[in-house]
Amino acid sequence: MAKPIAKLRYDDLSEGDEAPALSHELTRSGLVAYAGASGDMNPMHHDEVQAKAAGLPSVFGHGMLSMGILGRALTDWAGVGNLTEYRARFTKQTWPGETLSTRIVVTGKSQTEEGKRVSVDVTLCNQDGEVKLAGTATVAVA
Amino acid sequence: MLSAEKKKELEEAIYAFVGKPIGPPFTGRDVVNEPMIRQWCDAMGETSPNYLDAVAAEKSPHGGIVAPPMMLQAWVMQGWEMHEGYDEPKNEEHRLHKLLTDAGYEGVLGTDTEQSFSRYLRLGDAVTADTVIEHISEEKATGAGVGYFITTRATFTDQNGAELGWMTFRVLKFIPNQPQQAASDDDGAAQPAKPARIKPPMGHDNSWWWQACTDGKIQIQRCGGCEKLRHPPRPMCGACGSMEWDAVESSGRGTLHTYTVIHYPQFPGYEFPIIAALVDLEEGVRMMSSISGCDYEKVEIGMPLQGVIHEDEDGFALPIFRPREDSQ
Repeated sequence: MAKPIAKLRYDDLSEGDEAPALSHELTRSGLVAYAGASGDMNPMHHDEVQAKAAGLPSVFGHGMLSMGILGRALTDWAGVGNLTEYRARFTKQTWPGETLSTRIVVTGKSQTEEGKRVSVDVTLCNQDGEVKLAGTATVAVA
Repeated sequence: MLSAEKKKELEEAIYAFVGKPIGPPFTGRDVVNEPMIRQWCDAMGETSPNYLDAVAAEKSPHGGIVAPPMMLQAWVMQGWEMHEGYDEPKNEEHRLHKLLTDAGYEGVLGTDTEQSFSRYLRLGDAVTADTVIEHISEEKATGAGVGYFITTRATFTDQNGAELGWMTFRVLKFIPNQPQQAASDDDGAAQPAKPARIKPPMGHDNSWWWQACTDGKIQIQRCGGCEKLRHPPRPMCGACGSMEWDAVESSGRGTLHTYTVIHYPQFPGYEFPIIAALVDLEEGVRMMSSISGCDYEKVEIGMPLQGVIHEDEDGFALPIFRPREDSQ
């Protein structure tokens, strides 16, 4: 397999730089599509009747869907093939009707045995600024 | 709540799962394929030609379509059978969850995940996951309720046994703070009791002090032998050993000895952040309390404070301190 071409250049990046933000509107249909596509058929994410019976106000988003939205912002920015590590905490549940926005901020650069790497802080917030997901990621750069 | 004996039994049973694989390595039912990638991209709003456009992808450095890295787990998800829930345990992780559910730890919440990607997946790759129950925490009190954090680690390999990446996933399996009830907009279902402050243990030696709070007074215990003041209340004077005592009422005037600001975890029944404070009362004793009516960024060691009795909605009374403006 050919080596992925790094889209970002080490020398062009500095601490505090931000990647373009993405936003994603969460809908029930979107949750159903994600349940099918990801194979996560936990009914709390697509069956409103069961979710309410369990005491929830409605169905809620998959944690890994939040990860995916931020992951998309990461790979859009760093180029496909360059995301190497990614970790995050699910700080709040996501709900249909919310608009989720990504924020990716450069926190450091390093030269490793595998090549040049840039570390970033990542967060996903709703329209009111409530943090849904917070973590860090590492991407390969040229 | 569980008895100590039942809890010991439960903990022995659950900790026996640590280090165990959840089952034999599981190979996804489908190899990496375009339709599943397309469906995933649709759900995510993902439009990269590297995932979706065979012609464009052929000219890319990858030489063909690759799967989004975040799909790694999707290739080995059980999918349809998950909708049945965990009533019929199909693997060790389900058995572990069921043990906890049956003991009252009914809630489950994903808390965090960590992933590492060795290479991107290409069409035709067959993904196998080997998942181990890596860690179970001691019982923890959280905002959602008390429970155990369970970490699983999945290692992903391809058809040649080469590693594709790994992923840890942590869930909290907990006793929900409030009994879960059906959400209801208009049928007038009873609201659960509003969560209240955790009450201090009260006994022979200190309940008089809390009763005085209810009567609106901050009391300080005074030795009947040497008249030394002491706080918190206790049966014997540390200076002269006398067990005789009475009490004097404090003016509530004091200064801040030290403090800490608690943002998290946010227990129900309290307002956050909490400014937890040690206050030196002018009578000469030190009292644990909290500060209100002041932004935590404006709190300073040594600041003058005035103690007042605060009454919670459920009638529980306790001293709290506010900044003291006067300097009389």
